Amino acid sequence: MNSTPIDFFPIVIQFFVAAGFVGITMFATHFIGPKLNTRKKLKPFESGVQSVGNARQPFAIKYFLTAILFVLFDVEVIFLYPYAVNFLELGMSGLITMLLFMGLLLCGLIYVIRSGALDWE
Amino acid sequence: MNVVIALTITGILNLFGSIFSYRKITPLLSIIGLTTAIVFNSMYWNTNQSFFNHMMVVDNYAVAFGTVCMVLAACLIIFYNRFMGDNDHHLPEVLSVIVLSVDGAIVMVSYTNLLMLFLGVEILSISFYILAGLKKKDLGSNEAAIKYFLMGAFSTGFLLLGITLIYGATASFDLSVISEYVKLNSTSTNYLLLSGVLLILVGLLFKVAAAPFHFWTPDVYQGAPTIITAFFATVGKIASFGAFYRLFQMCFSPIVNEWSGVIMVVAIITMFIGNITALQQKNLKRMFAYSSIAHAGYMLLALLSHDYLGGNAILFYSIAYGISSMSAFIIIHIIQTQTGTDEAMGFAGLVHKNKTLAMITAISMLSLSGIPLTAGFFGKFYLFSSAIESGYVLLVCLAVINSFIGIYYYFKPVIESYFKDSITDDVIKLKSVETILLIFLSIATILLGIFPGLVPAI
Amino acid sequence: MIASVFYFLSFVSIFFAVMVVVSKNPVHSVLYLILTFFSIAGHYLLLNAQFLALVHIVVYAGAIMVLFLFVIMLLNLNAATEPVKSSLMKFAGAIAGGSLMLVLIAVLSKINSIQPAHEVNTQIGLIKNLGKILFTEYNLPFEVASILFLVAMIGTVILAKKNPHTS
Repeated sequence: MNSTPIDFFPIVIQFFVAAGFVGITMFATHFIGPKLNTRKKLKPFESGVQSVGNARQPFAIKYFLTAILFVLFDVEVIFLYPYAVNFLELGMSGLITMLLFMGLLLCGLIYVIRSGALDWE
Repeated sequence: MNVVIALTITGILNLFGSIFSYRKITPLLSIIGLTTAIVFNSMYWNTNQSFFNHMMVVDNYAVAFGTVCMVLAACLIIFYNRFMGDNDHHLPEVLSVIVLSVDGAIVMVSYTNLLMLFLGVEILSISFYILAGLKKKDLGSNEAAIKYFLMGAFSTGFLLLGITLIYGATASFDLSVISEYVKLNSTSTNYLLLSGVLLILVGLLFKVAAAPFHFWTPDVYQGAPTIITAFFATVGKIASFGAFYRLFQMCFSPIVNEWSGVIMVVAIITMFIGNITALQQKNLKRMFAYSSIAHAGYMLLALLSHDYLGGNAILFYSIAYGISSMSAFIIIHIIQTQTGTDEAMGFAGLVHKNKTLAMITAISMLSLSGIPLTAGFFGKFYLFSSAIESGYVLLVCLAVINSFIGIYYYFKPVIESYFKDSITDDVIKLKSVETILLIFLSIATILLGIFPGLVPAI
Repeated sequence: MIASVFYFLSFVSIFFAVMVVVSKNPVHSVLYLILTFFSIAGHYLLLNAQFLALVHIVVYAGAIMVLFLFVIMLLNLNAATEPVKSSLMKFAGAIAGGSLMLVLIAVLSKINSIQPAHEVNTQIGLIKNLGKILFTEYNLPFEVASILFLVAMIGTVILAKKNPHTS
């Protein structure tokens, strides 16, 4: 099966249609809708609760830890796709390669979970 | 190959130390793992094996440099136990990162594929960024980690772009294919290849901390925990030079005239900036950071020699520099934990506090400044003679002038420890293992200074 | 056709990359960065590397962008705490970057035509061919990459986790 970049032309068109729809709607509402800016309207909306203090507050590092671990495992999953496509052809040697790779990351996962890095206190 | 496997397994075993509650024995485990790896490594001597479609070749060069890195890492781990305080909680994990980073060093000295070079550099660098920030509550340590990370990531970008351009010119990552290509096309100027070489030079010169890519070094070396600084200054620098020399000697020696100018200028700037700035430093860690920059300048000379001499010279220099620098940093670390200062006056009256320690200080400083009868002298001798043999007489003259400048600041701690009165008279007590190790390092320094033939030719 | 798309994409990616650096608001920088990533994914498509294009969008525009936004949230970005950047540093940076650009342009403009060094296999970027090469020829780098991941994972936990006795 040969593939060329031209095959992706329909997807590109779809992409532009989707982006264009969003863009045009946002642009159009500015013109069509009435404009009534009051002080209360311009305030940030926080589920009806009176907003207090500064929005720029440093937040817990825990979220970051979770996010960065997510990225690592995300990248790991990426490697599974090329393997899955060639699963039968690669046979035993491919399986061993993949198991080693996953094994090392599994060690990391065990460590992350057992060390309590993901506990939310 | 077994070496990489042994190190990885050691790293994983260490990692589980605190989970399965055997954290007390993790330092021992790491030492055993490193020793096993060293034994495996030495079994590859004279075998010249190639692994996995020519991704790695374990030749004598790789065995020698790998052994140096692993021995130094083992010394470091023995002393790491002393580094308590805030981070003792993470002891097993930190040991695991150290052992895995040695994996990166091994890959860096035995690669025959540019992809492996990149991975090795990344493993080593990422471990270093982590280790630099180990003192989490300390602002200096945080600064060191962030600075090192940002600068390091930027320089890796240069390295990667260089690799890409070289792939574009030669259609291969494989060093043997690239060297064939360069040999065939050495007469015609290939601009794509040359710009690739230039960018790789930038990336690697950053890793070895040569001027003008040295600005991170003082801050990182000062901010990081002292024992980790010892790791950066020895294993990091030696592995980077191992990678550097391997690439340029194997692949780009036919077009040496194209890049030797860059190396010459960089070497001269590096030596002068390193030595002259080191003169003005009060903080010892900062002073040694600049001195390590100066040493990078000397080691760059080996890249210019176009025969096997360069390899031997850089190996000997690495061993001499690694041993002395390791013991120097360990002593600073001991004195820092004792007196709470990492400035030269912390050494005042050391001879009254601990005679052996003062002696070892003197020996390592003599070796770093290149006085005869120490390993440092022969290191410099081999480097300079290999450069003279390739016709760089002026460069060697400048290097010799710089060595004399170096003597001045290397003698500062020695003078402090022998001729100044100490503020306190506390005796510094060391564990017997530590004393034995330090004495062993000094004996190695002197032995290599008397019998330089002990280091086998590669 | 392909050439004009290439020039368009190159213009877009360079333009947005410059905007990332120039824009004052860090959140705007991140948004420009996303656009840069999308245009680079377009370059991958032009090179017939569809898998890489998708991975690029999933990993960079998806996961790594989240990290960037988190970092921005971790930082204290009130206008009063912004560090003062001296104009001397800016000047020095501009000179250094400009001279690097000058050298690279001078060198690369001397290349009249970039001949492919060998016969180019246009199907190499497809997921199946990529997998075959990755798991046969390049399986050692693949394994070594897992060591890299492991180190990164340990490092995040060491640096980001609170010590139990201090909390």
